Order: sequence, then structure tokens, then C-alpha cells
Amino acid sequence: MEKTEHKKGFTIPIGPQHPALKEPGHFRITVDGEIVTDVDVRLGYAHRGIEKAAEARSWVQNLYLFERVCGICSHIHAMAYCLGVERLAGVEAPPRAQAIRVLVAELERIHSHLLWLGVAAHEAGFDTLFMYSWRDRETIMDVLERFSGNRVNYSANILGGVKYDLDDEFVQFMCEGLDYLETRSEYYLEVVTTDAMFLQRTQNIGVMTRSQAELLGTVGPTARASNVHRDIRYEAPYSAYKQFPISIVLDQRGDLEARFVVRIKELFESYRLIRRILEELPEGDLAARMPRKIAEGETVSRVEAPRGELFYFIKSNGSDTPERVRVRTPTICNMMSVVKLAIGHQLADVPMILAGIDPCFSCNDRMFRVHLDQSVYANVGPLKG
Amino acid sequence: MKFGTLLQDLARSAVHNPITEKYPFEVRATPARLRGRLNWDAENCIGCGLCVKDCPSQAIELIVIDKKTKQFQLFYHLNRCTFCAQCVYSCRQECLSLSRDEWELAALNQEDFHIQYEREVDEVPCVAATDPAEA
Ligand code: SF4
Ligand code: SF4
Repeated sequence: MEKTEHKKGFTIPIGPQHPALKEPGHFRITVDGEIVTDVDVRLGYAHRGIEKAAEARSWVQNLYLFERVCGICSHIHAMAYCLGVERLAGVEAPPRAQAIRVLVAELERIHSHLLWLGVAAHEAGFDTLFMYSWRDRETIMDVLERFSGNRVNYSANILGGVKYDLDDEFVQFMCEGLDYLETRSEYYLEVVTTDAMFLQRTQNIGVMTRSQAELLGTVGPTARASNVHRDIRYEAPYSAYKQFPISIVLDQRGDLEARFVVRIKELFESYRLIRRILEELPEGDLAARMPRKIAEGETVSRVEAPRGELFYFIKSNGSDTPERVRVRTPTICNMMSVVKLAIGHQLADVPMILAGIDPCFSCNDRMFRVHLDQSVYANVGPLKG
Repeated sequence: MKFGTLLQDLARSAVHNPITEKYPFEVRATPARLRGRLNWDAENCIGCGLCVKDCPSQAIELIVIDKKTKQFQLFYHLNRCTFCAQCVYSCRQECLSLSRDEWELAALNQEDFHIQYEREVDEVPCVAATDPAEA
């Protein structure tokens, strides 16, 4: 969003090349001395026209297209799409397939949160933590590679179920990996809550109260760190989350430290859930048969990606290609909070605040129109940390 | 960070070999489900074309020479393939598979990426058999 009016103070353009993370986004930060007085954000550098491309591909082909919306959360995109298409077709994936989908989604959450922990620590100048967490993340990458043959785009889903089954050897390999990661996560939790230098960069920085978080429409761990009860797995359980419920991880404080704590505590919840699924893994088929043409209709499919709510709207006209697919990724919901939170902070804190929402620029770049209702943002008021 | 943990890590790293491998001199075993180059078993193919239809990146072309004698040619464009394994799942005759061992697929020429599969064993008798029919 660009504003044209003249602003007081000095404007520093940051980006579009890699403002904080290795992705494109442009920030125009107005400062008064070292203090940020205004932030403008401009997105769209990685717009790929995926929604339009989807209209020219069949239902099956689109599965692989949507898997590539995001490299980090490839599985959850495919899962959201599959759940939506299956609902339209009136097909339900067998219970074993649902459990395996959720299991992979949780493995993906672990890898995503560990990746984020490293990136955020790097932004804070704490490169030791970055190296440690990325080294440990390799454990989970190996698990995912052993499961599907691929480290990133696992392609575990097919319409109607999953491709791969769990075998004993893999389960043992995964459990060993999870045991190791659990001890490491305890250590990380201790580091982010006790390391004095790190706390200086996180404690009371970017504080967002519950009402502000609700007004700004934040989702995922960013919202949960401000004590907003927003987790699709908990609010509207889908797939195997009905059978294997999760408990929501919340924090009252709303600052950057809380966002670290919430994400690391979510790791423990994921370890617990994966073990529980393994204990009670349903027997049966891996996939149900899907028709090639999907019945006319429209549906909304919401799932909890590692970064927050992922939203798919799918419309079918009865043919073998979708009429419209709309994707909304969590980063776009959280981006406004960065714009508001940065005001009043030191310029040096801006990369940390940005990294705090765990942004993924290329997956949120999608064409849409916003009808600006200034009164909503006027109510949020200035945020100070 | 606790001092003890730091020392432990230091001691361990001092005697540990580097975690990186000396590729290409040392090649790590690939996972059993690795999805490498696509292979086609011409024996069972019935020419249904499902693999072509479902491939998200148009990496397969199937040319039907004669459906009765099961003469098909399969063109596989390696540089388009995303190794998603959808074709393997779509094929009901189980004639497609992604190789576990062939994954070093870089090449300097475009031509190396366009792979043509044909029925190898029957090639000579089949051609002979179809020739009179065509005449
Ligand atoms: S693996 Fe995927 S991309 Fe490659 S040929 Fe098969 S369907 Fe096409
Ligand atoms: S799906 Fe299988 S049987 Fe059908 S054309 Fe492709 S390889 Fe042949």
C-alpha cells in the first residue's frame, strides 16, 4: 500500500531485495532520529499468477501447483486443497490417510518453526542459535526425506488420500529423531527465556495486546502470543484433528519473546501429537477413489499452516478444471501488525519485528483489492513497546 | 548458555569429522523412496494416456503407433519433470516407476533431456508384423 502524502522526517527505503529475510518486500520507514514514526509496506514482487494458472489445469495437476505456493509449508497447501476438493466431490479420505496427513503436517510444522527460530535468531545477531537450530532441523528434514523421498515438496497427498504409508523402520527412525529434538527444544526454550543479550532484543519489543491483535486480524502463533484463541486445529478441527485433538498454546505477553515461547512450545505439542497418532494409527486403505470431474459447487477449506490460518476457496463448475481457486496465506493477515508495531521502536528493531510474524513474502503475493476503511485502523491507536 | 554445554559441544566438535560430505567422491545412499528419473516398462502399457493427462508439467508424451500390437512410444522430458510421482499413481498397469538410483540428471545439452522410450525386445518382430498390415 502506498501513501502519497508528504511525511515529516527522514524516509529510509528498505528492500525490495531481502529486507530481513531472503525474500522480496519493500518497506519505506520514516524515522525521527532512530525512532520509527511511520512504515509503508509494498508487496507483490513475487507475484506468480498461480490462481489464474490453476484455472487452466485439471484438478489433479493443480495439486502440484498449489504445493508450490510455498516451499516451507508445501504439505499444508496441498492438504487444504485436497480437503476442499474432496468435500466438493463428496469423497472422504480413509482414516489412515487422514492420520498420515496430519502427521506430516505436524512434521512440517516442526521443520518450519525450527527454521524460523534460526532466522529470527540470526536477525537478532545470535548466529550460534541460528546454526544450532538449523543443524537440528536437519533431523526433521531427514525424517521427511525418508518418508517421501524428498526434502521439500514431499508430494505426500493425492486427491482422496496419501501416497505413502508408514512402516516400522521409518517409525523407529522418526521416534529417535523426535526424542533428540525434544531435548533440543527444551534447551532452546531455556535459551530464549534466559539469555540476557537475547532478551534485550525480544522482551517488551513489538508488544501487541489482545484487542490490538484481534483488530489487526492477526493469525497463527503471532496472534496466540497475544493470547488470542485462534488456531483452526482447535477452533474448527479438520481431518484427523477431530480424533487427535491438540491443545492450544497461548501466551499473555504479546511481545517478541512471547512469539518465541509460543512457537517453541508448539513444537512440544507437535511431538506429543505425532506420538499419539503413532499409538492409535487407524488401519485401512491409503486412498479413496476420486472422480475426474468434480460436482458443481463451491467450498471453503481452512487449515492451520505453521504461520497461521490458511484459507482456500474452491469453486467448481462440474468440469475437470476448477472455475476459481482463491488462496489466502497467513502472512498477508499478519503484515499489518508489522506496520503498526514498528512505530515507536528503534529502526534496528524493525527486522526483528518483521521476522517475529514469520513472514513468507512469495506465498502472500496475490492480486486483490482492498476497500480501505480507515476507521478500523484508527481504532487500533499507537502501539508502543 | 551454560558453560558446560558449550565445552561439551567444543570437545565433541574437535574430534568429530565434518558433517558435510565430499561429493562427488563420496555419495550418500539415497532414501528408498527417492524420486529420480522416470522409467517406463513398455510390456504392460495399454496406451490409456492417463499418465499424460495427469502430469502437472507436461513431461510425458505418448505416441500410439498401433494399439492392437501395443506399439507405443513414450517421450519423457526430463527437464520438465518435477518428480511428483503422480504419473506412477495414475498408471493402473504399474508400468511407470521413478528410479531410486538415477538422480544425477544434470546435462549440458538440451537433447540429453528428451528421452525416448520404446519397446526394446519386441522391436524387430513387431515392426515386421505391422508392415504387411500397413501395406
Ligand atoms: S513425476 Fe510428475 S512431473 Fe514427472 S512425469 Fe510423472 S507426473 Fe509428470
Ligand atoms: S498410464 Fe500407464 S498404461 Fe496408461 S499410457 Fe501411461 S504408462 Fe501406459
